[in-house]
Amino acid sequence: MGCDLVTVSTDTKFVHLAWRDAEQELHNVKYPMGSDPTGNVSRMFGVWDDATGLALRGTFLISPDGTLLNSEVNFYNLGRNVDEWMRKFKANVYMGRKTNEVCPSKWKDDGDKTLVNPGAKMVGKVHEALGG
Amino acid sequence: MCEMKLGHKVPDFELETYEPTKRDFGRFRLQDQIAAKRWTLLFFYPADFTFV
Repeated sequence: MGCDLVTVSTDTKFVHLAWRDAEQELHNVKYPMGSDPTGNVSRMFGVWDDATGLALRGTFLISPDGTLLNSEVNFYNLGRNVDEWMRKFKANVYMGRKTNEVCPSKWKDDGDKTLVNPGAKMVGKVHEALGG
Repeated sequence: MCEMKLGHKVPDFELETYEPTKRDFGRFRLQDQIAAKRWTLLFFYPADFTFV
């Protein structure tokens, strides 16, 4: 199942075009660059900063049925790490397929240890369920 | 203004876009993603011409 990346800032689409063409770091960019000059979509996701009129570094994963499954907001000075998000994306896709399993903190990819049917029997026994 | 909550449906929204692969402007709609059964990763950042 594929995932579409869409970037969003309060710049206009015209500025997106000019930036993409000017900045060599962006010459391989293929994803759509969304424009939110009114800030309405940024407000909807809670990343609008009144003090500056800009959007904070928010990242939101929306499932194919339109459900918000993951969110993270970094302040201005912290960049995002693709590997961190790949793990979250893979985990959400995996759990969408296997709805009786949950991915523990050390889960990285398909095949890693999950917890199956977490319930009353597992309370206080997570260590054993993870394989000791 | 209602803010998003995890596990809840995201209200439909749309954005004007610049589409580098087409070298043209376009439009992103959440309902199109749902119709196409695609995941969406929305990536907000403060401003173009800065240091994302």
